[in-house]
Amino acid sequence: MSKLLSQKYYDGLKKLEPRYPTKVALLLPALHLAQEETYWLPPEILEEIGASLGIHPAQVREVASFYTMYNLKPVGKYHLKICTNVACCLRGADELVEHCEKKWDIKCGETTKDKKFTLSEEECLGACGTAPAMMLNDGYCENLDIKKLDQLLDTLK
Amino acid sequence: MASETLYIQHFNEEARPLAYYLAKMNGYTAVKKALAMQPDDITNEVKKSNLRGRGGAGFPTGMKWGFIPKQSAKPKYVVCNADESEPGTFKDRDIMRYTPHLLLEGMVIAGYAIGSNIGYIYIRGEYTREAKILDAAIEEAYAKGYLGKNILGTGFNFDITVHRGAGAYICGEETGLLNSLEGKRGEPRVKPPFPAIAGAFGGPTVVNNVETLTNVPFIINRGGEWFAKLGKLEKSGGTRLISLSGHVKKPGVYEVDAGSITIRQLIYDYGGGILGDKKLKAVIPGGSSAPVLTADEIDAVYDIEPLMKIGTMMGSAAVMVVSEDYCVVKLLQRITKFYAHESCGQCTPCREGCKWMEDVIERIEHGHGREQDLPLLLEIADNINGKTLCALGDAAAGPVISFVKKFRADFEAHIRGGKCPNA
Amino acid sequence: MSKCVIDGREVEFAPGENMIEVARKVGIEIPYFCYHPGMSVVAQCRMCAVEVEKMGKLQTACSTPVADGMVIKTKSERVIKNQKSVMEFLLINHPLDCPICDKSGECDLQDFSFKYGDAYSRYTEERRTYMDLNMGPVIKKNMNRCIHCTRCIRFGDEIAGIHEMVAVQRGNNTEITTIDGRPLETDYAGNYADVCPTGSLTLKDFRFRKRAWYLKKTATVCEGCSKGCNMELHQDGNVIYRSLPRTNMEINKYWLCDEGRFNFRYVHDKNRVADPLKGAAKTDWSSGIDAAKAALGGKKTTILVGSDLTQEEAKSIQDFFAKALPGSLLFHFGTPGIGSVAADAPLDKILKRKSKTSNLNGLEQLGFKGHDGSVSEAVLVIRGGRAVLPDLKGAATVVGIGVFTQAQAAKFAVTLPGAAFAEKDGTILNYENRAQKLKKAVNPLGQSKQLAEIFSIWARPAHAGAGHSMSAGANQ
Repeated sequence: MSKLLSQKYYDGLKKLEPRYPTKVALLLPALHLAQEETYWLPPEILEEIGASLGIHPAQVREVASFYTMYNLKPVGKYHLKICTNVACCLRGADELVEHCEKKWDIKCGETTKDKKFTLSEEECLGACGTAPAMMLNDGYCENLDIKKLDQLLDTLK
Repeated sequence: MASETLYIQHFNEEARPLAYYLAKMNGYTAVKKALAMQPDDITNEVKKSNLRGRGGAGFPTGMKWGFIPKQSAKPKYVVCNADESEPGTFKDRDIMRYTPHLLLEGMVIAGYAIGSNIGYIYIRGEYTREAKILDAAIEEAYAKGYLGKNILGTGFNFDITVHRGAGAYICGEETGLLNSLEGKRGEPRVKPPFPAIAGAFGGPTVVNNVETLTNVPFIINRGGEWFAKLGKLEKSGGTRLISLSGHVKKPGVYEVDAGSITIRQLIYDYGGGILGDKKLKAVIPGGSSAPVLTADEIDAVYDIEPLMKIGTMMGSAAVMVVSEDYCVVKLLQRITKFYAHESCGQCTPCREGCKWMEDVIERIEHGHGREQDLPLLLEIADNINGKTLCALGDAAAGPVISFVKKFRADFEAHIRGGKCPNA
Repeated sequence: MSKCVIDGREVEFAPGENMIEVARKVGIEIPYFCYHPGMSVVAQCRMCAVEVEKMGKLQTACSTPVADGMVIKTKSERVIKNQKSVMEFLLINHPLDCPICDKSGECDLQDFSFKYGDAYSRYTEERRTYMDLNMGPVIKKNMNRCIHCTRCIRFGDEIAGIHEMVAVQRGNNTEITTIDGRPLETDYAGNYADVCPTGSLTLKDFRFRKRAWYLKKTATVCEGCSKGCNMELHQDGNVIYRSLPRTNMEINKYWLCDEGRFNFRYVHDKNRVADPLKGAAKTDWSSGIDAAKAALGGKKTTILVGSDLTQEEAKSIQDFFAKALPGSLLFHFGTPGIGSVAADAPLDKILKRKSKTSNLNGLEQLGFKGHDGSVSEAVLVIRGGRAVLPDLKGAATVVGIGVFTQAQAAKFAVTLPGAAFAEKDGTILNYENRAQKLKKAVNPLGQSKQLAEIFSIWARPAHAGAGHSMSAGANQ
C-alpha cells in the first residue's frame, strides 16, 4: 500500500516511541501528527495510522471518533470553534455564533460552500476570564465581540 | 489579598524562561534539597502541609502519595492532570504558560518521593500553545540537567513527556485520563483496582493536578508547616488560585490564602462587583459541576469544608457569576447539554439519563414544558446521582437538582408562560 | 473459606469469587447485563448494584470484591428502585420489537424488565435510532436494540483475539460496529449472538426460523474436531434449528467455533442420501444389503472407518467384519494429512484443532491405524458426516455405509444410509482422552438406520431363492 503520510509523520512517531512502553500509547500523538498534515482524517489515513502502529483499523476508528479534535469529516481552511459554554454564553457567545451563521448562511456545524470557513460550537476552552473566546484552527482568540470578530475574519485570506 | 502570593506575581510573559525561574523563583533549589532527603520524608512533609488536590476532588496529596507501594514489579508513574476542562476553570493554563518549570520541578520531586522515573503531562488538546511552551521548558531542563539521567549528579533519573489529549472532558477523570494516555478511548475504569496500585500501563501511578504539583517545590523549600499555616482553615493548607468569570467587572485568576475570603468578597472586592452593577442572581462556585448558589448564600467562606456544609463544593475553584440579566433555565440547558455531550457512554444512567435531562430542559426552555417535567427532572437526576461508574453522572445531576430546586419559580414561569419571561 | 451474609443468609465463598456467583450459589439472583463470567468486569450497566452495609453508595455486585463478614442486601428498597431506574433508562430507546425479534423468549432484557422493571415508561422525547451496517454472513446487527453492555466488544478483544467490534462516537450516540460494513473476520462470530443480552446481535442462519420457546434441547458434543466442545442441539419436529455451546470450563468454557456451530446443517442437507441406493437408484434395505454383500463377497476388501464414528460403532465394525469379511484390511480416516493422534495439534489459540473429526483418539485406542492410501479391489467406506473421503480410484468396487451426498453415492456400487452425529447415541474420545457422550437429538433422516441395525440385517442368512421380491414383501 503506498503511503499517504509524509516521512515527517513517521519520523515523529519514531522519536516518540522510546517514551512509551507500548505502541498503542502512540495512537493519540499519531492522530495529531497525521492531522497536522492532512487537516482531516479520512478512512485511508486512519488505516495507514493503524498499519504504522500494528493495530486493527477498527481500533484506530474507535479512538479517533471518541475525541472531538480529530476531524473525521473535511473542514474548511479556517475552522472557527466558538465556545458556548457557561462563562462564554454569559458574555455573549451565542450572539457570535448567530452572527457567523447569518454572515455565511450556514448552520453551526457546517462549512461554507467555498470551503473557506467551518463553524463549530465548542465546550469550555479554559479561557473564561477572557470570554467570549474561540479557537481558530490551533490558536485562541479571546475577548471577542462582533466587531472584533469581523475585523479578524477580514484578515483571513 | 493573600498574605504572600506564590504565583500571581509571576503570571506574565517574562517569567517563562529558565533564567527567570532560576533567578527570581528559587528555581530547582527544591529538587536539590529533595534529592538529598529520604523519599518518605518528602511524602511526610507534603502530608504535613495539608495540601489538597487542586483539580476538583480535594483529596489530601500526601495521603495519595502514601498509597503507592514501595515495591513494584512494573514501573511507577507520575502523571500530571493538565486536562483542565471543568467549565469556568482556567488557572492551570496560566501556570503552564507563565511558570512551566514549577510544574517540571514538582514532578521530579514527586517522582523521587514515590520511586518513579517516568512522568507524563496529560494536557488537553486545545492548549496547543501551552503544550509547545511545556515542550520548550522541558528541553531547557534537559539541557541543564534538571531532567533526564543523573539529575544534579544524584544518580536519580526522571523523564517527562507531554501527551496531548484531543477534546474530551472525561479525560480529566483520572482513570479516563490513564486510558487515554495508553492510547484508548478515554473511558473511566472500574475501581478497584485504584491507580495507586494499577494505573498507567498497569503500574502504580500518582495522578495530580497542575496546581497541586507546582505547590510541591514551595513546600519542600519552606516546609510543610509553613504551607499549612498559610491556609486559614484547619484541613486546608497553602494558597488557592481561583478562576473568576461571568458577569463580573474583573474576571481573571486570583490567588488567596485558602479559606481566607467569602464568596461575597471574591465577587465584590476582587472581581469588582457585578457587570453593569446589576443584581446578582446566581453563583456557580466550583466549576459547572458544583450545585448552584443563590444570592443569599454568598457569605459562606470560600473553601472546601464550608462549601460542602452548604450543599455545594469548591471543585476546581472556578467561580461563575450570573446576574439577573441571564435566564437560569437557559443556563441549565447549556450546562446539561455539556454533560450529555461529554458523557463517555459506558454506564446506563449517565448515557441515557443525561440526554433525557437535556431534552426535557430544552423543551422547557423552548416553551413546551409540562407541569410534570419538574418532578420528572428531579427523579431522573436522583436516579443518576451516586449510581454511575464515575463522577460525571453526579456532576450532571447536581446542577439539575440545585437549579430546579432553588429557581423553581423561573422554571414554572417558563412552563406556564410557554416562554422565557425575560425574553 | 470466608463467610458473608446475603439477604440474611450466611454464605461461604472463596477469595476472588465474584459476588454475583456467590449469591447464585444460594439461589439468589442478582440481575446483570454487562457481566459475563468468561470476560473482564466493566460494571457499566449498573443493573447489579446492591446494598452493602457500611458503604454509602450502592455497589455493583460484579465488581465489588466480597470481603469476610460483608453484609449484602439484594432486595432492599434502594436496590429495587435502582433496578427499576436502570430498566427505565435502558428501555427509553429500545424499540418494542419483541413480536418480531428472534431473541424473544430467551432475552435478558425482556426477562429482567418483567422481573425488575416498572410496567410503564415516562419517556416522551424522541427516540435515538441508528442505521444498521452489515457485519458479514454470520451475524445480523440491529443497533437500535443495543443496550451498550459491551459484551461483544470484550468478546472480540479478549476471546476471539481480533479488535474488530468497536464502539465509535461517545455518550448517547455511541454506536457498536465493525466499521464501514466490514464483515466479521473471526472464526468465532457465532458467539457474538450468544453473548448479546438482547436481539441486537443475532444469527443470520437462525433468523425468523423458529420461536425459541418451541425448541427442545439435547446436550451433546460437537463433532467438528478433536477438541470435543460441549454443545446443545435445538430441534423442533425433528429438525435441528441451531446449536449452542454448553459451558464446560475444562474444554470450551462458554464458546464454540463457527465451523462446529454450523456443522449440524449437513444433517438436513437436501442432497444427503436418505434411502439405500444401488448406484444412483433407490432400493429397499434388504436388497441394498444383499447388493452390498454381493459387491464385496469374495474380494480383498479395504474397510475405511471414519474417525467421526463413535467407539461403539467402531468396535462393532471390528467385531462384525472380522467374521463377515475375514482378511479385510481396516484403517481409520478423517482429516487429510492428519493420519494419527501424533499429527493432531491445535489449529488456533482458542479452540480449534487440526483433526476435523471428533473421535480420532478413540479409534486409535481401539487399535485402528491411519489409512496409508492403499486400496484393495473392493473398498467399504463407513463414516459419519465429517470424515473426508480419500481418493478411491484404485478400487473396482466401493460400498458406502453412513452419511453421503447424492454426488458421492453416484460413484458407489451400493450406498446404505447411516446416522449422523445428531441422530445417534455414542461415546467419543477427545484429544485429551475425555470420554464424552453424543446424544440423539433427531431421528435418522428418511430411511437411514443406526449401524447396529444395519449389521443385524446383514447378519441374517439370505433366503434361498427368495430373491428380490420376497425381501421386498418382507419389508412392506
